[in-house]
Amino acid sequence: MVARKTEEAMTKTPLGPVQGTLELLILKTLGAGSEMHGFAILEWILKSTDDVLLVEDGALYHALHRMEGRGWLESDWGISEKGRRANYYRLSPEGKKALATEERRWERYVEAVAKIAPHWAGT
Amino acid sequence: MGPRRRLFRTGLGMPSLRQAIDWEIDHYLAEQIDRLMEGGLSRAEARREAERRFGNFARQRRKIVTADRRRMVMRKREELWDAMLFGMRQAYRGVRRSPGLAVTVVLTLGLGIGVNGAMFAVVDRLLLRPPDHVAEPDKVRRVLREGEWFGTHDIITATTYPDVEDLRAVPEFASAGAVAPTQLLTLGVGEDVRRVRATRATHDFFTTLGVRSHLGRFFNVEQDQVGASGTMVLSHEFWRASFGGDPDVIGRTLDLAGHRMTVIGVAPRGFTGVDLEPVDVWIPAVMAQSAQTGSDDFLTDRRYWWLRSVVRIRDDESLMVAEAKATARHVNSRADAVARGRFDENARIFTAPLIRAQGPEASNESKVARWLVGVSLIVLLIACANVASLLLAHGVGRRREVAVRLSLGVSRSRLVREMVLETLMLAAVGGGVALLLAHWGGGIIRAALIPEVLWTPSSLSGRVVAFSALLSLAAGLLAGVGPAVQSTRADLTRDLTEGGRGSTRGRSRVRGALTVAQATLSAVLLVGAGLFIRSVVEVRTLDLGLDVDRLVMAQLEFEGGDPNELERAQLYQAATEVLESIPGVVAVAGTDVLYQWVSVMSITVPGLDSLPIPPGGGPLDYGVSPGYMRTMGLELLQGRPILETDVEGSPRVAVVNEMMARTLWPGQNPIGKCFHYGGAEECTTVVGVVENASRGALEGDRHLAYHRPLAQTGDAANGLYIRTDGDPREVALRVAPALRSFSPRVRFAEVQPLREILDPQTRSWTIGAALFTAFGVLALIVAAIGLYSVLAFEVAQRTKEIGIRAALGAQKARVLRGVVATGARLAVLGVLIGIVGSRVAAPFARELLFHVDGADPTVLGAVALLLIVVAVIASIVPGLRATRVDPMEALRSE
Repeated sequence: MVARKTEEAMTKTPLGPVQGTLELLILKTLGAGSEMHGFAILEWILKSTDDVLLVEDGALYHALHRMEGRGWLESDWGISEKGRRANYYRLSPEGKKALATEERRWERYVEAVAKIAPHWAGT
Repeated sequence: MGPRRRLFRTGLGMPSLRQAIDWEIDHYLAEQIDRLMEGGLSRAEARREAERRFGNFARQRRKIVTADRRRMVMRKREELWDAMLFGMRQAYRGVRRSPGLAVTVVLTLGLGIGVNGAMFAVVDRLLLRPPDHVAEPDKVRRVLREGEWFGTHDIITATTYPDVEDLRAVPEFASAGAVAPTQLLTLGVGEDVRRVRATRATHDFFTTLGVRSHLGRFFNVEQDQVGASGTMVLSHEFWRASFGGDPDVIGRTLDLAGHRMTVIGVAPRGFTGVDLEPVDVWIPAVMAQSAQTGSDDFLTDRRYWWLRSVVRIRDDESLMVAEAKATARHVNSRADAVARGRFDENARIFTAPLIRAQGPEASNESKVARWLVGVSLIVLLIACANVASLLLAHGVGRRREVAVRLSLGVSRSRLVREMVLETLMLAAVGGGVALLLAHWGGGIIRAALIPEVLWTPSSLSGRVVAFSALLSLAAGLLAGVGPAVQSTRADLTRDLTEGGRGSTRGRSRVRGALTVAQATLSAVLLVGAGLFIRSVVEVRTLDLGLDVDRLVMAQLEFEGGDPNELERAQLYQAATEVLESIPGVVAVAGTDVLYQWVSVMSITVPGLDSLPIPPGGGPLDYGVSPGYMRTMGLELLQGRPILETDVEGSPRVAVVNEMMARTLWPGQNPIGKCFHYGGAEECTTVVGVVENASRGALEGDRHLAYHRPLAQTGDAANGLYIRTDGDPREVALRVAPALRSFSPRVRFAEVQPLREILDPQTRSWTIGAALFTAFGVLALIVAAIGLYSVLAFEVAQRTKEIGIRAALGAQKARVLRGVVATGARLAVLGVLIGIVGSRVAAPFARELLFHVDGADPTVLGAVALLLIVVAVIASIVPGLRATRVDPMEALRSE
């Protein structure tokens, strides 16, 4: 019982590349201090990653809610420029801290990957 | 991103989280479809593609919901809290606008709820909660006996020691034990001597109750045997008070009534056995023999009814069987007596709930307490009516505000909610005030009126607080909803244009009805108070046949072993001589049957096959010393009293009471008649007749009784009666030290005015009178304030009309008369309904009253008068204000 728990914890702690990356991307997207609704964030991320990162668009909303639950994001309802009802997200102070940590963690991850497979790591 | 308008200002009105998810998905689809259509897809194609891109709809949604779950819980809590805070802020603002109203409402409701809280504490202890520390109290039952008892058919709790042993032998009972009434014994020696409340109990009394000791243990079987060394258990309270809670008290030896007793345990806090009266020390039941008489008859004789038993039942099914078996043993063990017609063969043993007030032996106090609960609820109703009336009046003043808000689109239900919340908030504060009142007032009620119950230390138990909270809520709703609904039923155009001062007829009528209701309820309470006061007066002036207010009773306790009959007779004789020289003492007499005890000896009368026994029972046997009649104040109707010359060897004589003379020898001269006493051959000759006297109870039918000289049978007195010529309490103070020091054989003397012994019997009427009066006066004051405020408001509303009348030449006296007449009319109506109501209710209360009819005209008249006078006084102030209306100003103010 105990052993299994530890195992689970271990698989969860370092975020899987896709999930961790998506959260980092969201943090970075909102990092400039802007307030954006879900679809705008989606477009932004797709634009900056050449549509490669998401399997399903729904996963983004899942991530947004997960992050809001964690206290990294805050949201408010408003009316979009197209006159639609939309939920606007922004970074909370905790989210700003998380952005810094996640960036560092990402850098370490990239370094580690680069050591094993240097040709992958180029930007 | 781009600029946007904020949708929602605060937490209120936000979508629920689930709804938010749906909105968000909708938004995604809308934007995605737009984009795809820009890319050239048709709307239908775009929709399909958007849905595909989003992913499995249900699964994604579920995932998002899961991610939100924790937030949902927190958010719900927050929303609730926000709504409450917001509501309370609103309510507080409302309350702040009219502080006078707020204070009045808080105090009125506080009074009403507080009275109920205090009464609930009493009733909870007496009626609802089983005695403390009893395990599974539903399974413990009191054992009672129904049948002939000293000539009367009665339900009694008394039992004998052998009967307790019989109960133990009934296998359907899990266990059985017994306890004796608490008696006062002396503890310690010399300077330290003090009286303690000692209760004798069998060892299995404690195991039957399932009580665990606080320290040490209770007695075991060996310690509850004749010949065992003395042991005792201290009550927690006594241990704390007398030994400072010292745990080393276990093992100490104390002197109790001349016996060396080792302390073996301390009972848990608040443990009082099956009754509620406090106990200082618990001692084994076998101590009876030494504490009472020189013999162990008390443990073997089936004629000494000195214990009360309790049993623990196994289950409800076996209870009937168990009772039947106990009854069979009870009667069969007395086959001889049954055969001789001395014992009721139909006597029945049965059991009753542990809570005494729920069984057939409920005390009058507990019955009165039940009624007082009703009374306190009436006080609360009056308070609610008053508050409702105030709020209605207040609502009139707020009509303009209400109309404005309604016209601005605020929903009526929201306005009602706000107003009710305001009242609830006031009620909550009132509940706080109530707890203070219940704490102080409840303490007074309990200590002054039912002092022999050991109350739980704090009167504010969790149950009382919960009850008061519940009552506050109920009272707030009761008083608040009606007026809130009424005040929001606005006629917009009129209220907005007339400045909220238009016609108020409808509301006045409602308030008038509320005032009448208050007067009605006050009248009912005051009638109740009057009836109880009459009862107390009746009890006080009751002819008991003895001069209760002149008599002091004295009993001796002996040092160094109990004296035999002869020595006891000598000691009491010596005591009598000592007392006769004390100033204030008029006469002294001894008897072997003191007040509230009964003794029955079988007698036979020549010429009568059996004795015609009246409902009051008898014949009661009194062994008395010469001077008994004079001391007691018994009037000699015929013949002579017991004299010094009636001694052993002289012809046996007796003085019978009037009832006995008339029942046994109707139409004949009883003097010179003969009866045989206690199976003796010798004739006992009737030499005198005295008036009937109480045998200890206030009520009950007349019984047969005779008095015989103690000296003729070599019997000794058990105690003395002392007749005083002044205040018996003062004389008792002089008598006590004299009795305690006249002989080294005397260890202690119990000296008590008879009135003090009698007082507990009259207490139910005293409580009734005191509390009904208190509550009635309270109700009257509240109702008077109510009437006053209704009239004052009416006058204020009609200022213009009165002004016009004054301008037209109406006389001031006439204006005044008009206002006072309005008040009096309401009061008279209330009084009439109230008196009819109390006449309907009176028969139910009759068992609580003493020789007083529920429709007592004096009481009804006095209450009616009082209420009308109060109503007139309450009307005069607003009436006078009406006369001072200046016509010019009244007209100009428009």
